[in-house]
Amino acid sequence: MLEIIKKYEAQLRWALYALGAALLLLFLADQLAGKKAARILQTLLSGILVGGVYGLVALGIVVINKASGVFNFAHGWMMVVGGMIFWSFFSVSEISLLGAALLATATMLLAMSTASFSRLRQRRTQLLVLGGSLLLTALMTAGGSDWRWLHALSGAFAGAMLTGLAVERFAIRPLIGQPLFTAVLMTLAIAEVLHGVTQIAWGTVELNLPIFVNPATGSRFQPIRLEGLRELLDGLVIVRVELVIAFVLALVAFSGFIIFFRYTSVGLAMRATAEDQQLAQAVGLRVRVILAISWAAAAFLASIAGVLQGGAVGLSLNISLVALRVFPAVLLGGLESISGAFIGGILIGIVEQFGTLINSSQQVGTNLAPYLVLMLVLVLKPEGLFGEKRIERV
Amino acid sequence: MNRFIILCALVLLLGAALPALAQDMLPYPSDLTECEVDLSGETVNIFHFGDLSGPYAFITQPIVSAVSDAVLYWNSHGGVCGAELAQVYEDTGGNLEATQSAYDRFSSEYAEELDLLLLYGSGDGELLREQLAADEIVSFISAGSIESLYGEDGQTPGWLYASNPLYINQFGFFCQFVAANPEIFPDPVIGFVTWPGAFGMAGTGPAARDYCGGLGVPVLAEPQIFLPTDSDILTQVQNAIDSGANILYSNSLASGPALIASTLVDLGMDEDIKLAGVNWVMDTTVGLLGQRVLKANGLPSVDGMFGSMPYLWWTERDNAAVQFVTQQFNANKRSPAEQNIAYLVSWGAVDSIIEATIRTVNRVGSLSAVTGAEMRETVESMDYAVLGGLYQHKIEDGMREGTLNRIAVMKFANATMSGPATGAEDALLIDDGAGGKFFLPLVLPLTEFMPVPQLRG
Repeated sequence: MLEIIKKYEAQLRWALYALGAALLLLFLADQLAGKKAARILQTLLSGILVGGVYGLVALGIVVINKASGVFNFAHGWMMVVGGMIFWSFFSVSEISLLGAALLATATMLLAMSTASFSRLRQRRTQLLVLGGSLLLTALMTAGGSDWRWLHALSGAFAGAMLTGLAVERFAIRPLIGQPLFTAVLMTLAIAEVLHGVTQIAWGTVELNLPIFVNPATGSRFQPIRLEGLRELLDGLVIVRVELVIAFVLALVAFSGFIIFFRYTSVGLAMRATAEDQQLAQAVGLRVRVILAISWAAAAFLASIAGVLQGGAVGLSLNISLVALRVFPAVLLGGLESISGAFIGGILIGIVEQFGTLINSSQQVGTNLAPYLVLMLVLVLKPEGLFGEKRIERV
Repeated sequence: MNRFIILCALVLLLGAALPALAQDMLPYPSDLTECEVDLSGETVNIFHFGDLSGPYAFITQPIVSAVSDAVLYWNSHGGVCGAELAQVYEDTGGNLEATQSAYDRFSSEYAEELDLLLLYGSGDGELLREQLAADEIVSFISAGSIESLYGEDGQTPGWLYASNPLYINQFGFFCQFVAANPEIFPDPVIGFVTWPGAFGMAGTGPAARDYCGGLGVPVLAEPQIFLPTDSDILTQVQNAIDSGANILYSNSLASGPALIASTLVDLGMDEDIKLAGVNWVMDTTVGLLGQRVLKANGLPSVDGMFGSMPYLWWTERDNAAVQFVTQQFNANKRSPAEQNIAYLVSWGAVDSIIEATIRTVNRVGSLSAVTGAEMRETVESMDYAVLGGLYQHKIEDGMREGTLNRIAVMKFANATMSGPATGAEDALLIDDGAGGKFFLPLVLPLTEFMPVPQLRG
């Protein structure tokens, strides 16, 4: 008997998995049997759209991991900082010229000196800093409140760049060559610093960020109502426009980053850097610049996610907790996989929503189901759905 | 700039009934006990800690501002019986480990003076309940879970005293209101849509369901739970509606009730389904955050939301306590976002602490002779109109919480500031200075203060 089990171990394992999956499907079918078709479709749509935002957050975490191998626990707080900076420019009619100029100059100084501060001695670099600062300052302050979208977008862009570059320069760069775990712990420290900075700069009161407002009505965009399907589905299904916008933005970001990592030299260099920073440096890759770019990109993605989340529910320190909900999505998709982040985000979104549909009173959707799915996937594919399988030669 | 304009607007509104403000500072509204002991040269500390940067920060943060302003006021008016007033506080970020750590630090560092502690959250109260009793430290709390005040069995009064009614009693009180107003709530069925945790879940339970059911107001057995980070709660709201609910009740605050209200508008059900909640839903934060989505009549989604109001509110301008706190708020140039219920109630908490301290010192002869047990004796015997009427502090029959409540409704001011708007066309819209406009939230009491039912079993 033991011999038979040993001989057919792999097949038996897969048979057990299949049995488990079949039981799960039977359980779900039983739970959903009494639900109207409209509710099931609504839950699926909500899961996909909310999952898109999760995917966007997950993408930021994956970008850092892909470039440096570091799991960034500060990503949630980078979302809050990005959202708050956007709010500051969006909700203030008269932006301080001095404040904007300082932000622009600091951003440009850090951006132009990613390789080394000594570059700032070069005339060309100085001119670029000056020109860039003037341009950014103008974008952040020109015109009245009619231009607040431009102010907010450029302010958030500059703020995100500054946050990402500063984190890399002063916290991560000194750890190049050190064990990765040191850098992971550093991200926990960065999270606390950003938490403190946010509290001091913006306080803790929840802020309204009316970005999804229809100018004609002064109200948030009306959801799309699928009235035509009401009879067929035995109920109304709605699609919230702000979630669609977030989803589309997430798709654009994913497409951009997939192209970036696959087809650009910087993207390929990032992947090489993640493999071995010292080796990458030895073959002439500019590890410092690559790390700086990846942190700036992650901070930018975090800002977008922070603004979208803030626009949907209000800007508060709670936004940082969204990143915690996204961790299963990152692991599910695979730590190094861009497309995995997106699909992982959507899967977790769907699982959460269906868990809530089945049992909201015990928080099955948020506290149990995502982690069960994660465990199941990791047992079957330890590297995640789209993660890279590593073969160690000994 | 926009903050300045908002501040001006609020000052204009709240100051409209206070023509004397510009000339004179108002007298302190409380009828405090006369000092019999001179405490000159000593310090009376107000100890408090809680979540100032975590999930509840947006409502608790003004607590520090209010206590700071109260300390400033007292010290510029001769102190408490001559003693300087000070505050000692710590942010726990909503983390129970941090709460325990803060308690350990306070109780060791200030072992001699810590006789009275101000807490903010049900979870903190539940965690520290036994320790407060063992260390003989009285605690005032603005929360109302049964476990924090009466232990797991719900029958063992501890050393915590809540200024508001138990959340479960507030819910029972709301059921009374529903049963008494069938024209507003025909064939009522209540569904709980709420946050998780000690606060979120404190308003419901079998006793509440039985009580409400007995009044002809059935309550769904399964609460629908959502997180403060959720951006979409269609599933939870539809679950409740599909189960028959036509009233959604929430133990959440700030963006929580606003999200439920906006979901109802999205579903086109805001006219059919009523929204109500615990006392914290009746707050400025909810009124402002609820403006992201407008109803068909052009008013914010939270217009018409019901809730408990066991305190006075900012718009009750004929009351001396409200006038006084408003004046102090303006004098200290506080931001509009801080003009919430926590700021108002915290002035009351400081007033209660001062009154309890004066009474105890008068009895024991000196500040150093005050112990937790002495303080407890005072607190239990006090029948005191806090800040001259903001709420009543009265501990009866071994109870540990406020027993009076009102039901109020959230509305938005009309353009002439003579009452609530009926639609966007007659609503007061204030320019926020950045291209947007906002409605001015009002909280209008619908009932007198009345005793709440006792549902803790």
